[in-house]
Amino acid sequence: MTDSTRLDVTDIQGFVLKGYNFPYARYLFLELLHARDAQIFIGQVLQYLTTGERWDKKPITTVNIAFTHRGLLSLELPEPTLLSFPVEFQQGMRARGDILYDTGKNSPEHWDPIWRENRVHVWLAVNAQTSAALDHQCNVLLQMMDQTRGAKLLQPQDASAVFIDGKPTSKEHFGYTDGFGNPDFKGAERNCVPGQGKLTMDGNWEALATGEFLLGYADESGELPVAPIPHLLARNGTFMVYRKMHQNVATFRNFLEEQGRVYPGGKEKLASKFVGRWRDGTPAEISPDHPDPAVVADNDRNTNFTYGNDLNGLHCPLGAHIRRGNPRDAFGFNGELVNRRRIMRRGLPYGAYVPEGLPVRDEDEHGIIFMALNASLFRQFEFVQQQWIEYGNDLHQGNDKDLVIGNHGGQGKCVLQGTADPQNPPFLCANLPNFVQLRGGDYFFVPSLTALQMMASGTVDPR
Amino acid sequence: MANQSGHIYGLTILSPILESNRLDICHATELRWYLASLPRNHTSPFAQVSSTHFARLVVMDDVVFVGAPAREEHLKSRYLVFETNFDGDLNRYLTRMAVEIPELVNSVWKHCVGYPGLADPNAFIAYMKKCQIETTFFFADVNDKTVQQNLKALQVQSALSRFVERNQGKPASEVQKSFGVLLKRLAEAPDPLPGGIDSEKTAAEDRPYDR
Repeated sequence: MTDSTRLDVTDIQGFVLKGYNFPYARYLFLELLHARDAQIFIGQVLQYLTTGERWDKKPITTVNIAFTHRGLLSLELPEPTLLSFPVEFQQGMRARGDILYDTGKNSPEHWDPIWRENRVHVWLAVNAQTSAALDHQCNVLLQMMDQTRGAKLLQPQDASAVFIDGKPTSKEHFGYTDGFGNPDFKGAERNCVPGQGKLTMDGNWEALATGEFLLGYADESGELPVAPIPHLLARNGTFMVYRKMHQNVATFRNFLEEQGRVYPGGKEKLASKFVGRWRDGTPAEISPDHPDPAVVADNDRNTNFTYGNDLNGLHCPLGAHIRRGNPRDAFGFNGELVNRRRIMRRGLPYGAYVPEGLPVRDEDEHGIIFMALNASLFRQFEFVQQQWIEYGNDLHQGNDKDLVIGNHGGQGKCVLQGTADPQNPPFLCANLPNFVQLRGGDYFFVPSLTALQMMASGTVDPR
Repeated sequence: MANQSGHIYGLTILSPILESNRLDICHATELRWYLASLPRNHTSPFAQVSSTHFARLVVMDDVVFVGAPAREEHLKSRYLVFETNFDGDLNRYLTRMAVEIPELVNSVWKHCVGYPGLADPNAFIAYMKKCQIETTFFFADVNDKTVQQNLKALQVQSALSRFVERNQGKPASEVQKSFGVLLKRLAEAPDPLPGGIDSEKTAAEDRPYDR
């Protein structure tokens, strides 16, 4: 008997199956031109495309591609196929602004022009080990665009790991170590890491259903996710949200500094309460009183915790960033209420990193490129964003939003639960500004290799 | 008793809607339009019946056939569904509806079969009880506190969080003094009006902590 969930990794884009962990990336945002030429261009990109195949040795660069609905329209996919995509993908992220609370300072009028104008058809991503390799690979792709006349570059977006002492790190601009863990799902190559799949009744962790992250497979409810027709176009593909999130670094550092002077546990402990991790990455749930490098370094421990014994938020506040993004068992029912709300995160910082203590300005170009993959943008990403990031009721936090990335507009409030211990008192942050501001983005379909071949050859047949 | 959760009463009413072929607009449609025109904020008629936690009125045309293997079934009539959670006794609540919001009651139930009007409140109560079905399930947030207790608690919570925001980190004696002022202001504050402490109507007078 063959294992029904063993995935054909050579048919799935590598970006979907693993975080590459390369220090450099450039996301080329393209407009497709005449459909026939665009098909030829896609056919040529295919030879460079990075699949989920296991690497004996890490390549120097990777190439991946994804399309907005406008992009697929421009490729002249058959109408029945175009209309069969989930509504939220057809509408695109901008049109979903009210649902996502992309309003006020996060509304499209504050976005970069390419996103305001709704012109992006293609996300063509290159990750690289060196900046020279990045330039080289991008030039090859740009030449292909010129030769085929199938696409034109609207704008590149560079991203890169934060370098400290010449070495790439997992830090982001606010100083937190980022990128711990992603949900495990069945069929993916690696073993299930404790804390990263779903909780079993006996308190262990197992992989989530494949259909939570890939189209064409059963999801946690035993159903196939909503997907376009034909099946062959959808299978082994998924959906991605791309959000460029500008970070107001000066505002955040000043806020942390000021509040850290008032908070009796001190600045770093306060920082750990905001996110649920100390800035070195130690989970507050495991080590609420001090960072613990041994935990951070241990992959069996750094994501291996639950909130069931901390329902009052004394270790990790109820509204801390990582508790919002993935509440685990915080809502009871052994964590089952979160199993259909998981997202796979990818992303890298952009802009120059300014070390703490040096002068820094909000308006300089720095932030994080947030990308998340899921089978249903509506059920997974949009739900998490609306209910858990921009609202607090499920977490018993009323109208309060995520302190770090919430769209507060100066009115935000956040309660950090505490005890009678003078070092761990309850603390309230009020009049919160936006530490993070949206600069644009969109929803993308990340096709399988089979689907890309069909698109390149004009053989997508919905009948 | 299933209609009761602690001191909260859950009333569920199904009133059959009149059918008439002679009208330009059928009763159900007219009723839907009327319901859609009702305000849902603190000016809602149910804010006047101040023991109401929440109320919901909806026109139910039929049960929806979701496809095989479900069995296709139909209701004998269209129904008005009226659900409300309130404090205290059923007779008293229905009497309050008859006395305090007669216009709403008439405008809604005139579209329903057998509605006796409000001339005799006892006839109205008897009619409603005849349409009553058992409430088997309460909204998860029902907490066995009265509307006034909940509003007051929200007022205190809101005042307290502003107090903490303004006083955390200050010396204990100063905090204690301010706390005394807060308690006094809260004690003197008028009870919040139904419809929510953040409604415009109550905003100015019910936020003693803002002064």
